[in-house]
Amino acid sequence: MVRKQVLILLLFVLFLLEGTIVPWLLPGSWQNVISPNLVLIVLLFVSVYHHRHTALVLGIIFGILHDVVFYGDMIGTYSFVMGVTAYIMGFIFRMPRAQMPVMMTVIILGSLLFDSLLYGIYRVFSLTAVPYNWNLLHHILPDLVVHFVFGLIIYVPLRKQLEKLGKRAKMEKAA
Amino acid sequence: MLELFKLLGNKRLFVILIGLVMFIALMGFTLGPRASLSWPEKFLRDTVGFAQNIFYKPAGYIAGLFKDIANMRDIYKENEELKIALAHYTRDKVKYNLMEEENKNLEEKLHFTNAQKERNNYTYHITQVVSVNSDTVNRSLVIDLGERDGIKVGQSVISSEGLVGVISHVSNFTSTVKLITTMDAKDPNSNGISATALDNHKVFGIIESYDEVSKTLQMTQIKEDDPIKVGDTIVSAGDPSKYPQGLIIGEVTKVQVSPFGKTKTATIKPAAEFQDWKLLFVVSQPEVPQ
Repeated sequence: MVRKQVLILLLFVLFLLEGTIVPWLLPGSWQNVISPNLVLIVLLFVSVYHHRHTALVLGIIFGILHDVVFYGDMIGTYSFVMGVTAYIMGFIFRMPRAQMPVMMTVIILGSLLFDSLLYGIYRVFSLTAVPYNWNLLHHILPDLVVHFVFGLIIYVPLRKQLEKLGKRAKMEKAA
Repeated sequence: MLELFKLLGNKRLFVILIGLVMFIALMGFTLGPRASLSWPEKFLRDTVGFAQNIFYKPAGYIAGLFKDIANMRDIYKENEELKIALAHYTRDKVKYNLMEEENKNLEEKLHFTNAQKERNNYTYHITQVVSVNSDTVNRSLVIDLGERDGIKVGQSVISSEGLVGVISHVSNFTSTVKLITTMDAKDPNSNGISATALDNHKVFGIIESYDEVSKTLQMTQIKEDDPIKVGDTIVSAGDPSKYPQGLIIGEVTKVQVSPFGKTKTATIKPAAEFQDWKLLFVVSQPEVPQ
């Protein structure tokens, strides 16, 4: 049971790092280009290796957190987009034994879906006026690279822990 | 079995639709101007802000150290320039003191009211950035001053280079700064900046949108016979309710006739750099008695 709390703590720490340390790690000229969302990548892992409903709930909770803390225009964008992305990715790839290439595909597709949905919402509420092509080239693809690298780094340790979490849940169900 | 599956399937669709509608309603509700935040929001922001503060400051110092080592060679040159600037400053200071005294005397003679005298007496609160939003559209920062320190929604935030943004939401110990790079004429919360040139107060225009592609601000509604020219430094013209007077915004890089004729549009390169956030200043204007 402790693992579940550790997972939530890990997500919270990643959320903190995202707003505080990551901007300092990026070179100055990249700071306005890349918007890495590390929490989302972990949620994609949870969605594939654990359960998509857990990922949906965590996505909504951490999305709301992001929305409230960085309240610029409106609340609900991140919450909606993170929940939906994690859920859809878990729904399409329902394979808890997925190998590395499959997981990396999930990260690529999830990252694309996340940024595109976000852009779509901002466009609908006319908060941005740039065309999608420009956004794709200048924000979404650079993001994708960072997300991919981050996914590669955390793949081995996170998968191990998530599988243990899954086994524990199964044993409890059997008992 | 099939019946059950159908029921479940329908239920899932139902939940998804309800969720979608609720989220759109939430976004629509929070998009417009709101008087103040509810207490759960304030609590969440202050708690997270406290935790972020622990991470941000040391990271900034360490990053700053590496940068300083890299910039070691430029420091000699910079020092030279600063010395020249200081000499200019001391010379101007004498002039400024004399003028201020004269101005005060004249104000006394003309029987200015207290409110009129205090109008341009801005206070600058120094503040530390706590965290940066990574979202590229909704650019915002969190700073470590809040309601308790007298920060109010709508106050301007500047860096040492120029205008950075506006306070958009305030909680007890932290507040959010919406950067001017999110300015958009269509935004329901948008408030244009009335602007003029630093050396020529005959220039007048309104800055109300930021072009993400060219990374410049657009200044519109400039009259045809306006003396604005490329290279002018643009400052805020002052507006009793919103932006104080004389905040540096940027430099004109292009002036062209607007598509409808009759007026001109200027392209302005912002003076602030929008990266490596450390210290900022919140400018608060003296209270205007109603």
